[in-house]
Amino acid sequence: MKTSKCGLSIAFVTALVAVILALPGMLPGQTAAAKSSSGDGISAARWSVQVDQVDPGNLELAYSFQIAIYENLVEELKKTNQFQQVFRDGDLKASEAPNLLVLKTTVEQYTPGSETRRAVTTVSGATKLTVRSQLLTREGKVVLERTVNGDVRFFGSNLRATHNLAHNIAKTINQSSWSGSGEPTAILTGQL
Amino acid sequence: MDRFVVSRSHSEAYHSYRRRALWLSTVLICCSLTAAAQNITQRGDKSAPFSTRATHLLGFANAKNNSTGTLSVQNDSLQFQQNGKPGTQVKIGSVRDVFLGGESKQVGGLPMTLGKAAAPFGGGRAVSLFAHKKYDTLTLEYADADEGIHGAIFQLAKGQGELVKNELIAQGVTINSRKDQSTKESATEAKHENK
Repeated sequence: MKTSKCGLSIAFVTALVAVILALPGMLPGQTAAAKSSSGDGISAARWSVQVDQVDPGNLELAYSFQIAIYENLVEELKKTNQFQQVFRDGDLKASEAPNLLVLKTTVEQYTPGSETRRAVTTVSGATKLTVRSQLLTREGKVVLERTVNGDVRFFGSNLRATHNLAHNIAKTINQSSWSGSGEPTAILTGQL
Repeated sequence: MDRFVVSRSHSEAYHSYRRRALWLSTVLICCSLTAAAQNITQRGDKSAPFSTRATHLLGFANAKNNSTGTLSVQNDSLQFQQNGKPGTQVKIGSVRDVFLGGESKQVGGLPMTLGKAAAPFGGGRAVSLFAHKKYDTLTLEYADADEGIHGAIFQLAKGQGELVKNELIAQGVTINSRKDQSTKESATEAKHENK
């Protein structure tokens, strides 16, 4: 009985040692996996993006809104660190970039709101924007196409809708299954 | 009895003077507050640089967003200087377009918003009905050294946007064919608010 107990404890200790020894072996594997995923990030970072000015479509969108969407998009895309460089519309350096994508934004829907109405009623007066965002290659192939919304419902000025919209567009591009490997995948169409 | 009448009339006169003095000082204080709140547009003579108080909303060179300062036109450049900080500037020659717009905004910022939210019986909502002010928005489009397009938006007191725009035109900025949206925007917003 005593020997069996002793054997059990020896087996337990051996198993424990084996687990401890095996753990560092697993950790490098995890690191390698992490490295490989970050490696994908590096391959995605090889791409640069040029943000085109916002196309208001047939809508009467105030020019301040168009400029605010454009400026916020540039800022938000820079924040994601997904692209090697973020170029502005008309930037001469963009033509020298080896892998360039062009982000086109077309306004599809615009509901003008009122800050006063929001403050008084809480439930109405929201400013809403819906845009179609397209990520194209230099040759004009669509890599990603999404419809994205941005609005301001409670606090903040009407222009805050443009910030929320730009944030959503950057998030959509970041989370999309667009690989950034260079080969344009099938067109991803969706709505956020 | 006479003594009583005299002292009473003295007292009435004293109260009347005191009331007038109080009224006068109230008016003076109100005037001084209004004068301080008004945006200063310095345009004494033609040679002096044009400057006006403005809030930078976004996009102008390296200026901080939502910061208040002085927007001035001097030495062939448009300069925005935050209070007590070095200014940022853009060459007037690089400005490609100027647009005017208008917007109605709630006054008081975050403290006022919190105060209104904390007010009981929906008192904050009632305050919101009156605590709004109309502003001009000045949107600029300019190019950097690499020809990249930038946009900047400033918020100015009502009527100041037109002055800045005229000053920029006088300095040689060409305005695109796109119309100003101030009237259109205001009309849309007014319609929306009246609903």
